[in-house]
Parts: sequence; structure tokens; C-alpha cells
Amino acid sequence: MKIQLAKVPVVIFLSILLVFFYLLTIDRNPSKIPSNLLNKNVPYFETKNLIKDEIFISKKEFGKEVILVNFFATWCEPCRNEHRYIKNFATKKKLKIIGINYKDNPNKTKKWLEELGNPYSDIPLDKKGEIAIDWGVYGIPETFIVNSKGIIKYRHVGPVTEKIYKEIDLLINKIE
Amino acid sequence: MLPSLGNCALWLSLFFAILQFIISNKNYNLKYTSISVFGLLITSLLSFFVLIYSHIISDFSVLNVYQNSHTTKPILYKISGVWGNHEGSMLLWIIVLTFFNYFIFKLLNKKNLIFVLKTLKIQAFISIGFILFTILTSNPFERISPIQENGLGFNPILQDPALAIHPPFLYIGYVGLSAVFSLSVATLSLNNNEKIVWYNYMKPFVATAWSFLTLGIALGSIWAYYELGWGGWWFWDPVENASFMPWLLATALLHSLIIVEKRKSLQAWVLLLAILSFLLSVLGTFLVRSGILTSVHTFALDPSRGMYILTFTALLGVYSLTLFGIKSKNFLDKNYFTLFSKEGSILVNNILMTVACAVVFLGTTYPLIIEVLTKNKISVGEPYYNSTVIPIAIPAILIMGIGPILSWSEDKKIKFFKKILPSIFLTIAMTVFIFLIYESYSIIGIAGIILSFWIISNNFFVLIKKNNKNPISMIIAHMGIGLLIFGITGSTVWQKEKINRMKINENTKIENYNIFFEKISEVKESNYVAIRGNFLVYDNDQNIIALLEPENRYYPVTKNFTTEASIHTNLFRDLYIVLGEGNLDEGWIVRIYHNPLVIWIWIGALIIFIGGIISINNNIKKLKILNK
Amino acid sequence: MKKNFFIIFVYIFFIQFFINHSYTVEPEEMLKNQEQELRARKISKNIRCMVCQNQSIDESDAPLAKDLRMLIRNKIIKGQNDTEIYKFLSDRYGDFILLKPPLKSSTLALWFLPIIFFIIGILVIFNHTKKSKKI
Repeated sequence: MKIQLAKVPVVIFLSILLVFFYLLTIDRNPSKIPSNLLNKNVPYFETKNLIKDEIFISKKEFGKEVILVNFFATWCEPCRNEHRYIKNFATKKKLKIIGINYKDNPNKTKKWLEELGNPYSDIPLDKKGEIAIDWGVYGIPETFIVNSKGIIKYRHVGPVTEKIYKEIDLLINKIE
Repeated sequence: MLPSLGNCALWLSLFFAILQFIISNKNYNLKYTSISVFGLLITSLLSFFVLIYSHIISDFSVLNVYQNSHTTKPILYKISGVWGNHEGSMLLWIIVLTFFNYFIFKLLNKKNLIFVLKTLKIQAFISIGFILFTILTSNPFERISPIQENGLGFNPILQDPALAIHPPFLYIGYVGLSAVFSLSVATLSLNNNEKIVWYNYMKPFVATAWSFLTLGIALGSIWAYYELGWGGWWFWDPVENASFMPWLLATALLHSLIIVEKRKSLQAWVLLLAILSFLLSVLGTFLVRSGILTSVHTFALDPSRGMYILTFTALLGVYSLTLFGIKSKNFLDKNYFTLFSKEGSILVNNILMTVACAVVFLGTTYPLIIEVLTKNKISVGEPYYNSTVIPIAIPAILIMGIGPILSWSEDKKIKFFKKILPSIFLTIAMTVFIFLIYESYSIIGIAGIILSFWIISNNFFVLIKKNNKNPISMIIAHMGIGLLIFGITGSTVWQKEKINRMKINENTKIENYNIFFEKISEVKESNYVAIRGNFLVYDNDQNIIALLEPENRYYPVTKNFTTEASIHTNLFRDLYIVLGEGNLDEGWIVRIYHNPLVIWIWIGALIIFIGGIISINNNIKKLKILNK
Repeated sequence: MKKNFFIIFVYIFFIQFFINHSYTVEPEEMLKNQEQELRARKISKNIRCMVCQNQSIDESDAPLAKDLRMLIRNKIIKGQNDTEIYKFLSDRYGDFILLKPPLKSSTLALWFLPIIFFIIGILVIFNHTKKSKKI
């Protein structure tokens, strides 16, 4: 019995190492957390819309077509850097993009969009950040893909880069 | 020119390590072993000093200097910056390895020839692994062209005295365990006719590694305490855990070696512990440098480095643990102990240390395992470790109080109870006394105070006893732990915090102190600019007892903002101030902490270290006598 | 032997209660009601700051941490219990935001293995020691 016991450490050691080997070989980002809202309905919210008079009501807007949701703010430097990709989605891919303005000054937002261009069909204002919390947002900018049934299918934390742009592009083609 | 010399030296050290690996065999002339040991030591030291020199003179043709240094860095931090980055820290690992290699070699004599040569062979293999890793994936002597005018600066958070000496101490701990590992594997690979008191060889190395690991971890905590701005000093961060686990096993090892020596029992167990503690060290290195998780401590994220270290760890682990699986039966014994004896208490300590280590390992790796199995990410944070590790620590500490007093073999319960009666009384008296001062009734606080005074009282009475047979090193080290727990209890349970928005000339009261916001000024230093708040601390009698000057700094080169707390320390409490954001009109957010007994944590750790050092000395003397 | 195990179990469960209920300090958004504020601090200590390295929102300076601290206090005032508040946050941020891993099928091993390790340890001790000789 004791002799068998002595072989146990090697076995345990190897199994643990296998876990680590696996983690090294897959493509993962240790600091990115997967969204808990994937495959769930868009959280309900209603708030002022910067560029339209009516109140933005989420139930009315989602559930008809594929929509990109982009959480942004004028005070956020990476938001500025990714903006051209968001614009590309609007112009080249003809996607409807809703830009949720996080904890911002509406006047500054207007000026920012005048300077950089406006790809958003609607700009719900999230003055207190409560909508962002409902979406599980923790690091703006964040970009979501919502399918035509109003289900969240994808979330990216951080600015859209060339690589992410291509990733979203591919997904858009597959998602209905 | 000089950096190429450094690179050459590094390659030469690889050569000497390989040489040592091949010729550490009784068939070869010992002269060659001697050459390889010294060659390894000298070449690795040479490459290390070349890198330091390149940093000092700001030679930006060297990529490592360019990435991590800047002309405006104070010279002390230019030097400590050498081991503050990944590539330089590998050179530090290597020179500590070669030093321990040399110390093993120094023990060589006619009687232990085969044993020490086997140990040197394994130590050489480990050295080859680390030097090759450095050369192939982390060479600090890589050059760049064109040469930039100045470097990329350095993370300002790391420009700090405690952090400067934290790695060397920690590495002596981690790498000291390599010698312990090599000795264990050498012991396991001995043939039946080769008998040697391997445990006497292991003892000084374990004591060294353990002592330096203790202080190294404490230095990291000291840094976290005054740098991170909310008075915390331990976060169960994966990388902190990576240093705590080898420490727990090394503690177990330190104690069970005593039993091996006195009773020739638990030999197989000790040999396994020796292997596991080093494997955990190397695994810890892996966690920090592989990019597998993020933490304040992680170096540059690079999976290829992770692959290498993991493969190397796998080789070391599979070889040593398989050898253990096969050969450990030669070291088994049928000795039973009585529970109520010194051996019994050491056995319990070992079990508890090992269980604690297993739990910390479980908590640290579980999020990674879950990620592999379910693609979900979970957190295992402080509440988990508090719930699991503290219940294990409490009996361990209780036993630590009575262990030294128990006799070898059996102790009669009534006689024993009479022995510890004075310390029970002293503990109760001190506990009541403390609670009269602090007037706060928290169960965990009471438990902590009782435990710390339990240890202090017991050791005090052992110390003053006339025919005390216990080594002074043990008494000192245990006292240190008692003080450590005293400090931990005070600072965790009775910390008081006040957060206010203060304008200039306003004051805030905390405990018995009045904190007066005198002024705000701008400060300019060689590599940063700062806003500094001047706070005067008045006691109950309106006397000024301290001037606290917290700063918010901006380092232009790395574009980093940092908050520097200002701390006034005495034996009873720390007063700790942090300046938040603000302006002249609205005032500033000021956070003030009253942290009781914090300094006893650091004093305790230092005393543990001193106890350990004394025991190293005694162990080496004993070994020299044995070798004559 | 059975009696010893019972004592150990009682000890472990007893300790749990006191370890995670030790309180310290007072933040700036404190509630007027002491009991509610204490609850808020306890919950905050268990919520991970999503943008920091291994800190709880109770200790963090980050804006999101502050928002979540306020949110928790608002929910306490509205009368929600701890479970509801934790669920609200983990529904949105996943189990990752809970510093004390919830007890689920996926975390059974995490919570029960320490007890198993402890029991194995006790068994090893009993295995290696013999009863003291009676005089």
C-alpha cells in the first residue's frame, strides 16, 4: 500500500502541469472577463436620446435587426482611437450602431462627434453609468453585437483594433 | 564592447554548467569539478556586473537598459532596476544558483564524495536549465540600433528601497530550495551501500532558504503597505501565494528534519517535501513570467517563456517524483510516535503546514482549472482564504506554543500541564491588559491576542528556565512569530479609517489625534513632480508629534501617476495619510488611517529571520564536526 | 475517534462565522444607519473591483468601484437582502465579481477539498501515532 502511495505525487504533478500547458497553448487574454450576458436578452433601459427628441426605449429598438452597441465617452482616449472602426461599421457595413454615451457631458459629446464624425443612429445618455452596470460594462469602450432577436451575442472590452474589427466583421456575416 | 563581454560570460557560464553536469562523477579528477564550480561562479558574476555597469552608465545600446532605465533615475534605482525587470532578474536567479552551487561544493570531502558529486550534478542540471532559458528567451545583452538618446524610464512604483532588496532576499529563498532539491534527489539516487547523514547536509540550506524567504516575503508586504495606499499588506494575490506556498513547505521541512535527525523517522516524507518545495518555487516563477495570469507582480506577458519554464519544471518534477516513487521505499520506517510528545507536535505542524499549502494551491489554481473546464472565470479572493487557511493556522499556532516544552517520546499530561501553567496565566493577564487599553471586543481580536501571547509567554518561560535544552535560535524564531501574530491582529482587527474632504487650515480628529491641514505645495525632484500636502499631527495635549507629507506624484518619462502615503510609526500604532484628488476651492479628499501595532509585523519577521540565521550557523558548525 | 471528528467539525463551522465578520473602517459614502452601513461594508469587501488587480470595491479608488458601493447602499436602503444584491451583481458581471466563490456544482471541489485535506491530515496523524502507554 505504501509503495503505491509514493507514485501518487507524480500523477498529481503531471495533471496539474497539463492544465497549465493547455492554458498556455490556447488563445486567451488573462485580463478579459467574458460577458455574463451572452445569449441573454438586452437589458431593458429607457433614457434621453442625444440626437432625437423622443426617449430611447430599448424594447422598441432591439429585436428587429442586427445592431452594434458601442459604449463610449469623450473623456476616454481609447474611444477616440477606435472611432474610425466604428464609423467603418456604419458606412461600409451599413450596420445600425447605437452609441451609449457613458457618464458624459452632452454638449461635449456633440462637439466630439462633430469633430470625429457620427456613426450612431441613436445616442442614449447614460449619465450615471447605471445602464452600463446593467450591461456588465467595466472598461469603456466596450462593443456588443446584438442579433435580430434582441439577444446579445458578442462583447469586446477595450478599443476596437484591426484584429477585433476583422473578428466582428466575420461574426456579423454569420449572425442573424 | 562591454555588453558583448557580458553575453560571452553568460555563454561561458552555460559551458561551465554543462561541464559540471558531465564530470560530476567519481571517475573524473576532482580538479575539473573545482574548475567548473569556480568557472560557473565567476562567469555568472561577471555577466551580472556587466549588466549592472551598463545600467549605471546608461548604455542605451543594450535593449534591457533602454527598456528599463533612464538618465534621471537615481543611481541606487539604476542598480536595483537591474533585477526589477524580467531579464535582469533571471541573471540574479543565476548568480544565486551558482553561489549555492559553490556552497555545496565546499562541503565535498573524501567521505561524502559520491553524495556531493551527485548533488552537484543535479544542481548543474538546474543551472543549465535557467541559463539556457535566459540565453534563449530572455537575454539581457540584446542590442538595439540606432541607439536612442534616453531610455523608456522605469515603472515609478518600483523605484523604492523595500522593493529594491525584496527580490534578492526572495531569490535566496527560492534558489536555496534548489540546493535542498538537489540534496534530496542525490539522497534518493544513492545505492544501498552508500550511507550518509544527508539530513545534516540539508539542514543549513533549508534554514538559509527559509530565513531569507521569510524576510523576502515580509519586505514585499512592507512595500505593499506603504506604497499601495490603504494600509493593506497581504492580498492573497496569486503571486504572493506563489511565495507563501514554498514558505509553508519549507517551514514543515525545517521542523521534520529535526525528527529525521533525532528519530531517523519521516525520512521519505522529508525527501518528498524537499522536492515539492523547490518545484513550487519554480512553478511560482512560471506563474509570474508566463502571462498565464495578471497580477501587480507579473512581468512581461510572454507565452513562449511560459512554455519553456513549464517544460523545464515538468522535466525536473517528473524525474524527481518518479525517482521518489521508486526509491522512497528504502527510507521507510515503522516508528510510531505518541501524539503527546515533541515528535507528535512536529508531526502535527507538518500536517497542518502541508494542508495549508494544499489549500492555498487549490485556491490559486482553481480559477485556471475552471477556465479550462467551463470557459467561465471565477475569483477566489480573500474571503475564501480567510475561511480556509485561518482555521488551519490557529491549531498550528497553539501547538507551536507547547511543542518546545513537550519532551521527546512521551509526556505525562499532569506534569506537562504544571509546566505550562505559568504561561497560561501570563497569556490571560496580557490579554486582559490589552483589552483594557483598546476597549474593543472582537472575537477574532481576542483569539489573535491570545495566540500571540500564548507563544510569547511559552517561549519566555522556556528562555528563563535553568536547564533549558532548547536551541536559542528556535526560541528567537518562535518569539518572532508571536510578535508577528500580535502585529497582524492589531493592524487587521482594530484599524480605524477617516475619509474627509479637507480645505487648508481645517482639521480632522482620529482616535486621540488632531490632524491639521497646514498647506499644499509643489515639489520638483530629479524624475518626478508632485503635489505635497503638509499635515500636522497634534496629540491630546496639543503637542505636535509629527509632520505628515503625503504626495501625489507625476513621473513625466513613463507618464505615471502615483500616490505616496505618509506614515508616522511608533511601537503602538501607525498614522497613515493619503492625499486624494482635489483643489483649493473645494478642498482635497484626505484618507487617514490609525493602524495599531503594525510595526510588530515587521519586527516579528526580522526576529524570525535572526533566529533562522543563528540556526544556519549552528547547523554548519555541526556539519563541519561531522565531516572531520 | 468519532468524538474528535465532531469537535473538529464544530470548530471549523464556528470559526467561519467570526472570521468573515470582523469589521474595520468607515468610508465616505456611509449610511446613517450603523447596521446597514456594516452590511454595506461586508458586501463591498466581497465584491471584486473589475478594473483593479485583486482588490475589493471597498478598498479601491476606481470610479466603477465607487458606483458599485453606492449601488449596494441604495439597494440596502430599499430593503434587498444580501443574496439579492450578490445576484444582481453576478447576473451582470458573472461570478468573477464575487471574491468569495459561490457554492455551486462547479465550486464544490473548491469548498470541500480543504475539509477533505484536513481530514486526510488528521487520519495521517492518527495512523502514525500510537496510544500512550497506560501506567
